[in-house]
Amino acid sequence: MKRCFLFIIAVLGMMFLSFSACDGILEGIYDYPVADDRNEFGFIKNDPSTHSGTIYIDATDYRRWIFIDFHTQKIDSINVTNSEQKEPEEWDVAIHRYDAKTHNGAVLETGYTGLVALQNAGVMPEGIYVEDVWTTDKIAVDMSGMMDGNIVYAESYFNEELSKWLNVDKSNMPPAYIPSNKVYMVRLKDGTYAALRLTNYMNDSGVKGFMTIDYIYPFEL
Amino acid sequence: MQKILKNVCLICCCLMVIPISAQRIISGTVFDENKEPLIGATLSIKGKTTLGTTTDAQGKYMLKLPNNNEYLLKVSYIGYISQTYKISVAQAGEIDFLLKEDAVNMATVVVTGTRTPKLLKDVPIVTRVITADEIKKVDATHIGDLLQAELPGIEFSYSMDQQVSLNMQGFGGNAVLFLVDGERLAGETLDNIDYNRLNMDNVERIEIVKGAASSLYGSNAVGGVVNVISKMVTKPWAVNINGRYGAYNDQRYGGTIGFNAGKFSSVTNVQHTQVDEKNLADGKMDEETGDWAFKKVYGDRTWNVKERLIYTANDRMKLTARVGYFFRERDKSPTNKDRYRDFSGGVKGNYMFDTANELEIAYSFDQYDKSDYLLQAVHDVRDYSNVQHSVRTFYNHTFADKHILTLGGDYMRDYLMSYQFADNGSKYQYIVDGFAQFDWNLTKYFNVIAGLRFDYYSDSDINHFSPKLGLMYKVGNCSLRGAYAGGFRAPTLKEMYMSFDMASIFMIYGNPDLKPETSHNFSLSAEYIKGRYNLTVTGFYNMVGNRITTAWSEALKGQVYTNISNIRISGAEVNASAKYSCGLAARLSYAYTYENIKKGQPVISTTRPHTATVRVEYDKNWKNYGLNIALNGRFLSKVNTEEYTSNASYEETETMTYPAYTMWKLILSQKIWEGARVSLTVDNLFNYVPSRYYNNSPATRGTTFSAGLSLDIDRLFK
Repeated sequence: MKRCFLFIIAVLGMMFLSFSACDGILEGIYDYPVADDRNEFGFIKNDPSTHSGTIYIDATDYRRWIFIDFHTQKIDSINVTNSEQKEPEEWDVAIHRYDAKTHNGAVLETGYTGLVALQNAGVMPEGIYVEDVWTTDKIAVDMSGMMDGNIVYAESYFNEELSKWLNVDKSNMPPAYIPSNKVYMVRLKDGTYAALRLTNYMNDSGVKGFMTIDYIYPFEL
Repeated sequence: MQKILKNVCLICCCLMVIPISAQRIISGTVFDENKEPLIGATLSIKGKTTLGTTTDAQGKYMLKLPNNNEYLLKVSYIGYISQTYKISVAQAGEIDFLLKEDAVNMATVVVTGTRTPKLLKDVPIVTRVITADEIKKVDATHIGDLLQAELPGIEFSYSMDQQVSLNMQGFGGNAVLFLVDGERLAGETLDNIDYNRLNMDNVERIEIVKGAASSLYGSNAVGGVVNVISKMVTKPWAVNINGRYGAYNDQRYGGTIGFNAGKFSSVTNVQHTQVDEKNLADGKMDEETGDWAFKKVYGDRTWNVKERLIYTANDRMKLTARVGYFFRERDKSPTNKDRYRDFSGGVKGNYMFDTANELEIAYSFDQYDKSDYLLQAVHDVRDYSNVQHSVRTFYNHTFADKHILTLGGDYMRDYLMSYQFADNGSKYQYIVDGFAQFDWNLTKYFNVIAGLRFDYYSDSDINHFSPKLGLMYKVGNCSLRGAYAGGFRAPTLKEMYMSFDMASIFMIYGNPDLKPETSHNFSLSAEYIKGRYNLTVTGFYNMVGNRITTAWSEALKGQVYTNISNIRISGAEVNASAKYSCGLAARLSYAYTYENIKKGQPVISTTRPHTATVRVEYDKNWKNYGLNIALNGRFLSKVNTEEYTSNASYEETETMTYPAYTMWKLILSQKIWEGARVSLTVDNLFNYVPSRYYNNSPATRGTTFSAGLSLDIDRLFK
């Protein structure tokens, strides 16, 4: 009888536990990052002693280029579908979704997977620096016709080397996003060098298009 | 004083002797037709659940009966026709039993067609049963593997995001109701439940009722019901461990511990699986694979833990409690993993007032969550949760020992939080239903079953009646069945309230004004059983109205859920099986399906018209060695269809042909000792490799091998 009583108590306890959680249980096992917990965009971290820092930008909008100026540590943006908006005069690297271009610069993909490793190596990476190319089918600004094969592209310069920082593998749909995790050397138009590494393409809630880029500028030996 | 003491002693002795003299022992041996003892056969006394026993390694049993009353003894063994024996007043001594093999599984007790236990041969609704033995022969991990191997007309394909999608003779995943021990499952992805939850470890049998069954089960039972029945332990204790290793690092491990101790009985089952990513495009150039629907199959791993505890308070009352946990992690990309979790639990009480009246009350909880595990941020972010609380009542009254009246009612609270709602919001609704069914056994040969169910959905304010009428007539070795059944599927919260940005390509909107899907299902079947042969022919016709799907809305410039015009689905199925005493057995099943959808509708049929499954096996058992060789084959015809060339228009089409293919699996299973079984499997025996991968192509790169071991620890030490 005692066992029966204990059993019924256990069963009733389980029932009430469940009833008290109409909308579910164990929500504590999940993370709840606040979507705008990093609502500051731009050069969010900067250490002048090492010339290094972190850039965080919102590149979720297909119609928008985000311009990064390492010299002034400022970002700017324009809507490419709005002809009245013009590119800023001074910028070094620009980002559209995961696409990248330079301002008359060139890019080298290094074998390093961290900025510290690059610094510790103490040598300037060698290789062929790749300049931008003019494209008509890379910068998608309107995806709404995709199912009918009618993606709208904007004509633009595009740097294939720097854009390797995130491989959007479309062999399965939806695509898989594979970061290269590598450090890219960007030779700017004034001959100075920036070392960049894409550390995340999502915000803390998993929304794609929020780019976190670690950098060293100027990169000097 | 001495005289008084003598008298007291005498009375005490008498009191002690009375119960001893009343107790009697029945013992004997249970044999098969070849006079071989059957080990582990179950002997149970009707209405006295605590008095049962099982046969030992020599097939012997011993039953202690507490008094000299009359008892009904049932002797059963899996794969054999059960026998019922009346133990007369004061009868004692030896009784041997000889069980005949149930060559065509007709002595299996099923519950899904009527919600009351009936022998398969007597159930008025056509029911297909897949037994535990057949599950072993197919070497299935989850229900998808099993159903495809056993039933024609079933195809599990991929849909977007490599999510699994069912087509059962023209009916999709949301029109086929999946149950576990009669309980619904929460959660869905692209209209399909998570089939990985239905693992095949520790399953007693699976019952499949094709056609509408909403008069008993309500929403979703439009195209059929699949009910997974869990195994319970009948022995004092039982332990099984099993493992399998195959290509692509495909690993499966399972363990079950069960015991019967006094009034308690428990079964705990744990299963773990894992498989690596399968690269289908390996060695091919992008030009060759550019138009493939998928080029790799994601690797994943699952954990499935289930516990069921039964307390038999007395011969009238039984309480059951269960809890379960399921976890699946899919390797979506180097930065993301998709996680799927389910937490379930329930309590159920069964009370038998007398042999004619039985009541069941149950509470059930099921929560299915989806989350993204972001490796860079190390965050596990939940973006979907479906929580269902259900309370069920169910009452049976038997008239004149043969007619059964069933009454029932359910209440469910359905909560859904989803990334597909605006701002990751949530919605909930209440569902209330009541149903009645009368199973009228007019004569031994003629049965009529009629039922009606009413469902109410609070959010959509839907009131719906689902009827059913079934007839069965037995003549000679033939059973003829005819049925009309109404099917019904209420619009889900997702379909009513979705507001989802599809990767900036288009929006998908819900529609709160959706009408429920309905169907009228007519079926006729003839079953012929003679000795070792079984032949069943079934024909069906479905009129499906208001099917819910997404369609382009020019006004909203996006996809919106809508009801479409009537669809007609008709077809036929033939099943033939034979089993011989020498150990040879064969089964052939063929299904034809014709789906008639008017042109210009947002949906297009991709149902393959002809499908077949076949199994040829040889099974022989000796004292310490057993051999089973099973060859399973599956044939799917090609399907020609017209597909729309535009997302926003249903006018221009292009012709598509999905090729036919056959898939064969050879399984060699050996009993190397009592309780120990080793199996070797060759999958895709004839090395079929699709030239390109459509969503409905088999995800294979050719022949693969796997090896498995299963140990029944309790039998090893007997």
